Amino acid sequence: MKALLPIIRVLLSAAPQAMFRGALLSVIVLLMGAALLGLSGWFITATGVAGLAGVGIAFDVFRPSAGVRFLALGRTAARYGERLLTHDATLRALAALRVTLLRGQARLGARALSRLRAEAVLTRIVSDVDALDGVILRLFLPALAGLVTHAVVFAALGWLAGWPVALAVGLGYVPLAALIFLALGRTTVNPSDRAETLAQALRRGVIDMIRGRQALILDGALGPREAQLGELDSATRQAARSLDRAERLAGAGLSALVAGVTGLALLVGGWAVAGGAIGPASGAIGIFVALALAETLPPLARGVAEYGKMAGAAGRIALETDTAPDALPVPDMDRDASAVLQIHQPALTLSLAPGQAAAVTGPSGSGKTSLLMQIAGLAPDTGITILGTGPGTWPEDALRDTLTMVPQRSALLAGTIRDNLALAAAVDDGQMWRALDAVVLGDMIRARGGLDMDLGEGGAGLSGGQARRLALARAILRQPRLLLLDEPTEGLDRDTADRVLRGVRAALPQAAILATLHRSADHPVFDISKAMNV
Amino acid sequence: MSEPGNQTESTSRRRAQDRIIAPVAGTLRKAGVLSVLSGLIWPLQAGVLAWAVAGWVLGDMGRTAPAAAVFVVGGLVRAALDHRAGYCLFDAADQTIARERATLIGREGRARAPVTSAEVAALLVQKLPLLQPWITRYYVAMVRVSLLPLVLLAITFWFSWAAGLVLLVAGPLIPVFMALVGMAAEDASRKQMVEIGAMNAMLMDRLSAMLDIRLLGATGRATRDFATRAEGLRLRTMAVLRVAFLSSTVLELFSAIGVAMVAVLVGFTLLGEITFGSWGGSLGLAEGLFLLLIAPEFFQPFRDLATAWHDRAAGLSVVAELDALDAADRVPFLGLAERCAPLDGPLSVDLSGAVVALPGTRLALPDLRLDVGEAVALTGPSGAGKSTALLAIAGLVPLAEGHINVCGTPLDHGTADAWRARVALIPQAPHFPDQTLRDWLGDDVADPRPALRLANADRFVARLPDGLHTRLGETGGGVSGGEARRLMIARAVLSGRELILADEPTADLDPDTAARVIDALLGLKRAGHSLIVATHDPALAGAMDRIIEIPS
Repeated sequence: MKALLPIIRVLLSAAPQAMFRGALLSVIVLLMGAALLGLSGWFITATGVAGLAGVGIAFDVFRPSAGVRFLALGRTAARYGERLLTHDATLRALAALRVTLLRGQARLGARALSRLRAEAVLTRIVSDVDALDGVILRLFLPALAGLVTHAVVFAALGWLAGWPVALAVGLGYVPLAALIFLALGRTTVNPSDRAETLAQALRRGVIDMIRGRQALILDGALGPREAQLGELDSATRQAARSLDRAERLAGAGLSALVAGVTGLALLVGGWAVAGGAIGPASGAIGIFVALALAETLPPLARGVAEYGKMAGAAGRIALETDTAPDALPVPDMDRDASAVLQIHQPALTLSLAPGQAAAVTGPSGSGKTSLLMQIAGLAPDTGITILGTGPGTWPEDALRDTLTMVPQRSALLAGTIRDNLALAAAVDDGQMWRALDAVVLGDMIRARGGLDMDLGEGGAGLSGGQARRLALARAILRQPRLLLLDEPTEGLDRDTADRVLRGVRAALPQAAILATLHRSADHPVFDISKAMNV
Repeated sequence: MSEPGNQTESTSRRRAQDRIIAPVAGTLRKAGVLSVLSGLIWPLQAGVLAWAVAGWVLGDMGRTAPAAAVFVVGGLVRAALDHRAGYCLFDAADQTIARERATLIGREGRARAPVTSAEVAALLVQKLPLLQPWITRYYVAMVRVSLLPLVLLAITFWFSWAAGLVLLVAGPLIPVFMALVGMAAEDASRKQMVEIGAMNAMLMDRLSAMLDIRLLGATGRATRDFATRAEGLRLRTMAVLRVAFLSSTVLELFSAIGVAMVAVLVGFTLLGEITFGSWGGSLGLAEGLFLLLIAPEFFQPFRDLATAWHDRAAGLSVVAELDALDAADRVPFLGLAERCAPLDGPLSVDLSGAVVALPGTRLALPDLRLDVGEAVALTGPSGAGKSTALLAIAGLVPLAEGHINVCGTPLDHGTADAWRARVALIPQAPHFPDQTLRDWLGDDVADPRPALRLANADRFVARLPDGLHTRLGETGGGVSGGEARRLMIARAVLSGRELILADEPTADLDPDTAARVIDALLGLKRAGHSLIVATHDPALAGAMDRIIEIPS
């Protein structure tokens, strides 16, 4: 339960009022159901008594029969409202969960952030979030509504049919149902989580086999891999089978419980009627209510059986969101220092003043990207100061306002060119066009529908070089004092590369620029050129 | 969306029935019988309850204890029957999923269809289980709905034709209303799935761009924007759900009105205010209570069927995808991909008049002769068949005409596996399995370092975060394109295979890195390997012994 509590907190606080309205209607639906059967049972028994006694004419039929009709229609209406409100609350909560997740992910380091590009990691996070969708709708609300209903019914039965009947129904249901759910939760916690993790492993395995099929065929290893996937499949189905067995057993237990409690209500009611404590009609209420309360049980059984899956997902998601927030004090920054950036590392020594541009060269793997990530505050740094202060001690917001970086593989959002540029800053169209022109992208975009040109998922619709230049334009709109560029000319022909470098320099005349290049760095834009010592 | 004609739709449903339901029909029938038996116990239980309560009014308290006992035993038997039926149903669904999965696993790696690996994986892992609710709920719901309401209706008529009439009118109206609302709802629930999928796609999109978002200082803006879009999605989804939930509300409304009318009717009859409707003009208390208790059960099978209707729709769409995948054009390979002893004889490759048949196209391959120790470059424009020639030599695509001789024997189903034991292939975009580098290089190799040195890969491997124990996986453990190809070269060396086929090994590499890769390939040749490279790169082609130009 511990793993789920923070998730429940996030989900509930997302829309407390909507959640409360939904919960209230859930209880009303269950109560009206119990009242409907109870009243009908009482009504028929009482009319039977009156008919036998020959006092049928004196019996007030209109109020009970109006009550029956009101409860029948009211319950249907309440059910409709309940479905709408709980789904509304859940959708609000789901959005809140995803926003919390996004915020948490944003605080991770460079390696973890790059890992998010892998489809397998993304799919896992998304299916974990999906698994949590049921926490409120299938677990929390049915449990809460069931408990409240049983409590209210207990009081009402005590008043209408006497405490012995109320005790028979209340004590018959609540503790035993709780035991059954507890047992179900315990037996399913492992298979439920296992079924989910095995299914994800099977998914990865299938993708791996198909993408790596040529190597598998050449190695003569396709058969063994297929056999391995077959075993993974049977393990997945085995977990599903244990889940099904536990669920069916709990289902049978709950049906037996309903039969037992109704039988008990009959016995205790009969005993109370025989003793003269209550009339037959009041005694019948207990039996009918006991039958109606069966409705509180099955929805919860479903949720409890998924508990293991939810708890496993919650544990993994909590790892993703539970990074300590930045609470660093704002350091004394030498805002007017002559050097924007200073690096004193074994592989490189460099000092960069405003308006200067430096190129750092080195073969791939020499640590150029890792150096940029350190400067950007996304990896543990040594020997680096920005305006006199190490990146690790800068507050996050101030650091982002001071520097920006264009990584080697930039990701674009699905959306328009405007959406992608607006991610950088709230700027007008004129500024957007100036930035696009600086990276020699303006003409292409004007020809293809302007700023509202739609990009597919991950920026599909642009070539690799165009996507890189759009990311560069985004960085220009940040107006940083320090701009870090990882291989800015990769994928560009010589002429375009030349115009882009000049354009960026002209767009940010005061900025210090540090670019890594694996090709020679003889471009006139660069005032300083250094090689990494490997 | 265009609806297919009624006839094709009904034949596709019949095919789905044959494929999914027919093989487990026996098990399903058994489950249906058990489930109907369980449903038939309820009138008995209702009867003893009514009989006991009537006894309270008549002063016969002795009925209570035996009635309670019979009721509880009835409940236990029902629970046991349902439990057993559930077991049969799960088994039927499990057999089906196992069979379809085994088919996909055994086919999709062997003969590629033009669908992505992610699509196959989604079908196999997420969509196949959607067959389960269809199998476990729809059939049994159909059996129950065709028997139980009739039985309960007959019993009700036996006691009171007026109550029977109420049920008769309310019951069959349900399918009519269901059909009306259900049409809207099916469309609505499909839209809702699409919207939730859209929210997840948006989440994935933002997550994969998170590094950029962070570097742009846009975390706050991006999350606010996400929240706004999610809010829009919520409003649209709710509009859809307002309609979708109507269908079940209509069902409940009819059953609620039906039960309430039976209750009121029975009450008035018992009071003597209504004298028509029952045979003989009067109704006992026991009969009245009994009618009240069985009325809700008359409606229950209809409600179950309504839920199962959606399950069936979901199941049918999965079957449609399975059918489409069955019918896809596939490219098989030669042999069985089994590990066996290498083919005998001195290494040689001989292509003459070979034409490859791919779905929709035929591609003529150049004539080519390679002897042991030679290094040959295949050049030519994109699409001329350079890569396909390499695949054909490895026996990965079948020939339509001509022949390939390897080591003096024809390359066919019988020799392909043995031939491939002497061949290593370096694809343009290598795929790394989720293993450590050490395991991937070959766990039977004593020391991979000399091979890594030969492939110019030793230095960057030493710089990897976990060195030889770096996990590769989908992202290749963070190695770049040029590094990945050098790792493939090292693996080819370690595998001891004599012929190396390399597809565009220097594409997208800067000149320095390309030079390292070429150097590594020449190292292979010096070590006695034979080499065929497909390339655009004049530097690489020039470094080989011979160049074979493929015309477009």
